Amino acid sequence: MIALVDCNSFYASCEQVFRPDLEGKPVVVLSNNDGCVIAANKEAKALAHIPMFQPVFKIKQILAENNVTCFSSNYTLYADLSQRVMDTLREFSPLVEEYSIDESFVDLSHYNPSEWHAIAHKIKDTVHKNTGIPVGVGVAKTKSLSKMANKFAKKVAANNGVYVVDSEEKRKFLLESARVKDIWGIGRKHTIRVENTGAKTALDFANTEVAWVRKELTVVGERLWRELNNLPCLEMVHLPKAKKGIGTAKSFGRKLTDYGLIVEATSFYVAEVADLLRQQDSAAGCIEVFLQTNSFSNSDNQYSNKIIITLDTPTNSTIKLTKEALIGLKKIYKPGYRYKKVGVNLFHLIPENEVQMSLFHEEHKSESAALTKVMDALNSKFGKNKVKLATVGNREKEWALVKEHRSPRFTTQWDELLTIGKKIL
Amino acid sequence: MKSEKVNLIEKSKKSYRVARPKQTGFSSPATHYTEPRIDLNDALIENPSATFYVRVSDDSFSEFDIFEKDVLIIDKSLTPKNNQLAVITQEGAFQIIKIKSDSKEEIQLWGVITYIIKSTL
Repeated sequence: MIALVDCNSFYASCEQVFRPDLEGKPVVVLSNNDGCVIAANKEAKALAHIPMFQPVFKIKQILAENNVTCFSSNYTLYADLSQRVMDTLREFSPLVEEYSIDESFVDLSHYNPSEWHAIAHKIKDTVHKNTGIPVGVGVAKTKSLSKMANKFAKKVAANNGVYVVDSEEKRKFLLESARVKDIWGIGRKHTIRVENTGAKTALDFANTEVAWVRKELTVVGERLWRELNNLPCLEMVHLPKAKKGIGTAKSFGRKLTDYGLIVEATSFYVAEVADLLRQQDSAAGCIEVFLQTNSFSNSDNQYSNKIIITLDTPTNSTIKLTKEALIGLKKIYKPGYRYKKVGVNLFHLIPENEVQMSLFHEEHKSESAALTKVMDALNSKFGKNKVKLATVGNREKEWALVKEHRSPRFTTQWDELLTIGKKIL
Repeated sequence: MKSEKVNLIEKSKKSYRVARPKQTGFSSPATHYTEPRIDLNDALIENPSATFYVRVSDDSFSEFDIFEKDVLIIDKSLTPKNNQLAVITQEGAFQIIKIKSDSKEEIQLWGVITYIIKSTL
C-alpha cells in the first residue's frame, strides 16, 4: 500500500505557521519579483475572483479590498519546512519518495490492512502537530489511485483529509466520483479520445477493454488503466534522480542597461548552478546563456538572444563555467536595450567521475578543483556567497529580485527568529 | 544516496578524525582516542524536525523567569504535562503559559518549551 501525503496550500501554510493572526484569513504567495500569485490558501481560493498566475498589478485592487495578505516567496523557509515534513514521514516508513516540495509517496506495505486507516490518520495528525503544516493523505494499492484518493480526501469534508482505498467498493466509489480528465497523468488528447467512447468517469475508463486502451492510448494509457485497476505499474522511486539539466533565470529588480551589472548577475547565477552541479557530483558539457527584454512592455524595444557553448571538457568548476558564460554573454549582448532577465542553463550533465579528457586539453583541473573546494568549504562555513569570483561584484542590490513582502527566514537564520512579546521587535 | 539509508541503522555522520598535518614523526598517543567535541544539539534537541527557536522581545513573561533576548527552544511534537511551559496562540497572538492539567480552559498549543537560552553577560 502506498500513501500520498500532500501538504495543503503548502507555501501559504508555511507562512501561517508563524502568523497565528492570519488564521482563517486569505493569504497568497507571490512569485519571484512579486510578479504573480503562485499560491493561495483555501480562504483566498474561496474568493473565487482571485485568478491564479495572474500578474499582481492586474488584481492589486481585489487583493486590497478583500484584505488578502500577500507574501513574497520565501523559498528558504519552504525548503526547510518541506524537509521537516519529509523527515516526519520517515518516522512511519523506511521508504519515502519525495515527489515534489509538498508531496511524498510513503510506502505502507509493512503495516497490516487493519492498521491502514489509523496510520493514515496518525500521519496526518503527527505532521500537523510537529511542523504546523496541514496535510491530506490518500492510501491505495497503486500510486495513481493514492494520488486520486488524496484529492478525494481533501474534496469531501466528511473524509476529514484521509481516504483509504482498502476495498473494491471504495475504489469504485473513488473512480466514479472523478471525471476522466481528473485521472492523474492523463493528457488532454487522451481525455478527448476516452470521452468520445462515451466514458464519463474514471471508473468508465477503468472498465474499458484493455485492448482498446493499448491500441488508442499506447502503453502510457495502458499503464494508467492498470494502475486504476489496482495493478501497480509505477514503482516507488527511492533514489533522487540526478538532474539532466540545471538552470536558473530570474528577472532583475529593475530593467538593466548597464553591461557591467548584467555581467555580475550572470556570474552570480553561474556560481549558483555550478554549486548545484557539484552537490550532485555532476559535470556539465554545455552551457547556455540567454538575455531578454520585457516582452510584456509595449514601450520598450524588444530583443532576446541565447547562445549555447559546448565545453572542451565537461566541468563543474565555477571559474571555468563563469569564463565561458561571460564569453557567451559578450557575444549576445547588444547595447541600447533595457534588459529584464538573464539566465544560465547547464546541459549534458554526466557524473563527475566519468569525465573524459579531450586529446588537446591542457590539464589544470587539479588546481581549479582544489580552489573550488576551498571556496565551497568557506561558503558553507561562513554563509552563501561570502567568497566569490570578482566578476560577481558587490552590487547585487542594483539587480536583485524585489521581495518586498518576504517573511523572515524563521528556521535558518539566528537574526530572523520568530519573536514573542508584547511589543514586536 | 538516500536509498542506502533504507533499512540500515544510520551511523553518526560526525567525523572522528582530527585534521593534522601530513608530517612524519611520532604520531600522537591520542590517535585512537579522539572524539568529536560536545555538540549542544545532542543534548538540547530531541526531535530536530519538530524543533523551532523563538526569541523573546521584552520582559512580558518575567513571571516565568523569561526575559528580553532569551531564546526559547520549542518542541512541537511534545504534549505538555502539568507545570510545563508552553507557547500557545490566543486571539491570533503568541503567548507563554504554564500548563495546569486541572484547567478546563481550552488552549491552542503551538509547542512545548524545552529549554531557555540566556546570556549572563
